[in-house]
Amino acid sequence: MSAPIVDARALGKVFPMGGGPVHALRDITVQVPAGEYLAIRGPSGCGKSTLLHILGCVDTPTSGALLFDGREVGALPDVARSNLRLRSIGFVFQRFFLLPMLTAAENVEVPQAEAGVPKAERRRRTSELLDYVGLSHRADHRPSQLSGGEAQRVAIARALANKPRLLLADEPTGELDRSNGEHIAELLDRVQADGTTVVVVTHDPSLAERAARRLIMRDGQIEREERGR
Amino acid sequence: MVARRPVGVALLSATLAALSVVARSETAPPSGAGVLVSRQLMAAQQLRVGDLVSLSAEPDGSQPRSFRIVGEYEPTPDPMRLGAVRHEVRLHLPDLIDLRASGSNPLDTETVDAINVAVGSPSDAGAIARRLFTAIPGAVAQRAGNDERRAAPFVVLERFHLAIAIVTVLASSVFLLALMLMLVEERRSTVGVLRLIGFRRSRILQHVLAEGVVIALAGAAFGILLSVVMQGGINQFFQWRYDTALVFVRITPGVALRSIAVAVPLGVAAIFASSWSLLRGEVLALTRR
Amino acid sequence: MRAFVFAARSLVRQPGRTALGIIGIAAVGALLFDMLLLSRGLVVSFRDLLDSVGFDVRVTATDSPLPAGVRMKDATLAAAAVAELPEVAQVIPMRTASGEIVLPGGRTVAAGFTGMDPSTRRPWTIVSGQDLSPLTTPPAIVINEPLSDAIGLPIGSELTLRAGCDPGRAVSTPRTFRLVGVAQFPFDDEAQNTAVVSRDALREACGDDRDEADMLMVASSGGSAAAVAAIKAKRPDLFPITNEQIVARMQTEGFTYFRQISAVLSTITLIFGFLLITVLLTVSVNQRLAEIAALRALGFSRMRAAADVFVQGALLVGIGGVLAVPLGMALSIWLDRILKAMPGIPAAMHFFVFEPRTLVTHAALLLATTLLASAYPMWLVARLPIASTLRNEVVG
Repeated sequence: MSAPIVDARALGKVFPMGGGPVHALRDITVQVPAGEYLAIRGPSGCGKSTLLHILGCVDTPTSGALLFDGREVGALPDVARSNLRLRSIGFVFQRFFLLPMLTAAENVEVPQAEAGVPKAERRRRTSELLDYVGLSHRADHRPSQLSGGEAQRVAIARALANKPRLLLADEPTGELDRSNGEHIAELLDRVQADGTTVVVVTHDPSLAERAARRLIMRDGQIEREERGR
Repeated sequence: MVARRPVGVALLSATLAALSVVARSETAPPSGAGVLVSRQLMAAQQLRVGDLVSLSAEPDGSQPRSFRIVGEYEPTPDPMRLGAVRHEVRLHLPDLIDLRASGSNPLDTETVDAINVAVGSPSDAGAIARRLFTAIPGAVAQRAGNDERRAAPFVVLERFHLAIAIVTVLASSVFLLALMLMLVEERRSTVGVLRLIGFRRSRILQHVLAEGVVIALAGAAFGILLSVVMQGGINQFFQWRYDTALVFVRITPGVALRSIAVAVPLGVAAIFASSWSLLRGEVLALTRR
Repeated sequence: MRAFVFAARSLVRQPGRTALGIIGIAAVGALLFDMLLLSRGLVVSFRDLLDSVGFDVRVTATDSPLPAGVRMKDATLAAAAVAELPEVAQVIPMRTASGEIVLPGGRTVAAGFTGMDPSTRRPWTIVSGQDLSPLTTPPAIVINEPLSDAIGLPIGSELTLRAGCDPGRAVSTPRTFRLVGVAQFPFDDEAQNTAVVSRDALREACGDDRDEADMLMVASSGGSAAAVAAIKAKRPDLFPITNEQIVARMQTEGFTYFRQISAVLSTITLIFGFLLITVLLTVSVNQRLAEIAALRALGFSRMRAAADVFVQGALLVGIGGVLAVPLGMALSIWLDRILKAMPGIPAAMHFFVFEPRTLVTHAALLLATTLLASAYPMWLVARLPIASTLRNEVVG
């Protein structure tokens, strides 16, 4: 087994609320080897999105430790964490969150420009990515002109823009119909097959079945682990 | 003798003259020769009531006459002399005439700048002035406070303030419209859902206008309250700055009503104009993300 | 993608709101620009007017602000003493009086008279006819254009002048003068009637033989400060004052109202602009929270996200500020016209005077306002909790 790209040790997350603290995560320990396809399932409110956010360095745990590529990230300043997300982690959201004032191609260019990639290289890579997701012909269209499935494919292309080692997808097919969901699932398969570690949070059993390993969560804890497709 | 410091002093008496004041004369004045000195001059020359001072009509201070300070007075605030230092002395008219008389002109003892007349009924002032004007050759009689020349600067300033107010209202209206557009944009999906449910446009418009009136009234009231509070601060600051009792800002009921009369319709018009495109839009377009 | 491109695209996305924001900032910026022009306009204009006359020092008998005060006695002697100084190039005594021109048929026109002997320098410019000459009989008189229109007499005509030279004295007997020229007097207001005659002619018209002057007008040869020091040393009883000192005195006394109103209105417009920009940016940010959280999740740093907000504000203010300058110049012409109607203001003076430094001050104030106004929305963006914002967006 390859070295874990993500190593979460006894993670806990508590949200202070008016009616009392909410323990979203309790003592979660999980390792994600490089190149793996991991799915996280569970009922609403079980903490799966919270876990994904912590793995993606978007949120910080209340307790425990998170290592990315063997490096403790919990204590990193915001600039370092942002840099990590920019260059090593890709995010795909349920609601796509494409920038509405930019075209599909420009949306894919945004993370590359932020990472300092030269213009010519950006253009080349963007063209390559849009081709990868099958949307070269929609490069100059704005998100409002795209269907849900097309928008999500552009979002995946954007997430892959800086060749991340880890792709995190939070309910990537949540807003899509079955057919579009299938296409997204196939695309995620390709991404993983091409060497990127993929972690997906999903309600969709057909999407979860595609993963080599599945974590089933309940009440902030990992209830059980399943393997095999 | 204290070293002389000739100070130009403008007299507010029947005659305007420039006198020299030498502080603290040692020569006792004739009995009854008292003067009133402005508060500002008292402070500047460190004088006190009871001090003896010498006044001279000559720029070099020669031929001074001695007077006793019998009181201090606050000069009547004059907006035309804002910023001017009010170093003034008031004398009895015979004393001033005596001080200024050169001896070479027999008319010196018979000359004044003006004679103030108090009439029994102020409403008769204009008629009395006209009668005096025709009855006394060479004299100009006019009703006090009716001097168009003195009022002219304030007419100009009023126009200037009005011009500034117009520009401010225009800029505020643009600001208001921009704000209302943003507020209305946030309500897009809400309005779409209401229309989907079956609310008529006119019903939603009623809500919008009612909200506009409330916001405009509340805003206008807050603005007036803020002005009243600032009024005190502005007056205090400028009264301190210019050492005057003049009132610079006064919020009257008329001013407040005029402000409301401008602000409320503008506010309502702004919310109506910004909501118009929303209410005219297709229902599904409103609810689409 | 550069923050500028981001900001520009964000603004273009909401054209109505953006246009109104820019117009609002332009209007506010124009008013601010005008108040900056007003803050120094009178001083600059007055100083230019004083300097244009050619005399840089005035000497009076007392330190009362000109033109009030006591007349100088033995003015000819005083002028001669001052003229002897090497620091002084020229000295001309000047006396003023009020009076009227008596026309055929008994009609009179009131006017202000100045008694002054012209030399190489004179505070008037002949526009038609000739200047004063001592050889003219009867004595020459030069009048200004409003007075010329009022009396309707051609150059070369004889006219009668009745002068009142001393408030305490009766008006003297009328004297005859010959109209030799029409001139422009720089300190005249639009409605003023002004005439100038020689000193001797005015003395005769006043019916007295007093050698008095309101002031000595002095042109220095080596700088006004040196001339003032020399005059004070030679004649400590006199009060010399430079043009700069006159301007400074006017700034603290005569022009003080306009400086204050300029300061007050500048402050109000800045506060207004601050509110406008803060509200525009804050509402824009609040409407884009999910978008911003997504960008942060993608790897945008806090500083980058906050910088986007600032650049958006700077773009709005930059475009609005550029538009504000021509708008302000046009507005200043209108406001200047209103204020110049004030009696006693010389027609050649302006309340709103453009100086290049005004542009710099204007830009600096707008930049400072942008910085302050962007602070709160930038703070909102920098402090945005990414995960909960994304979660709220999905739940919402």
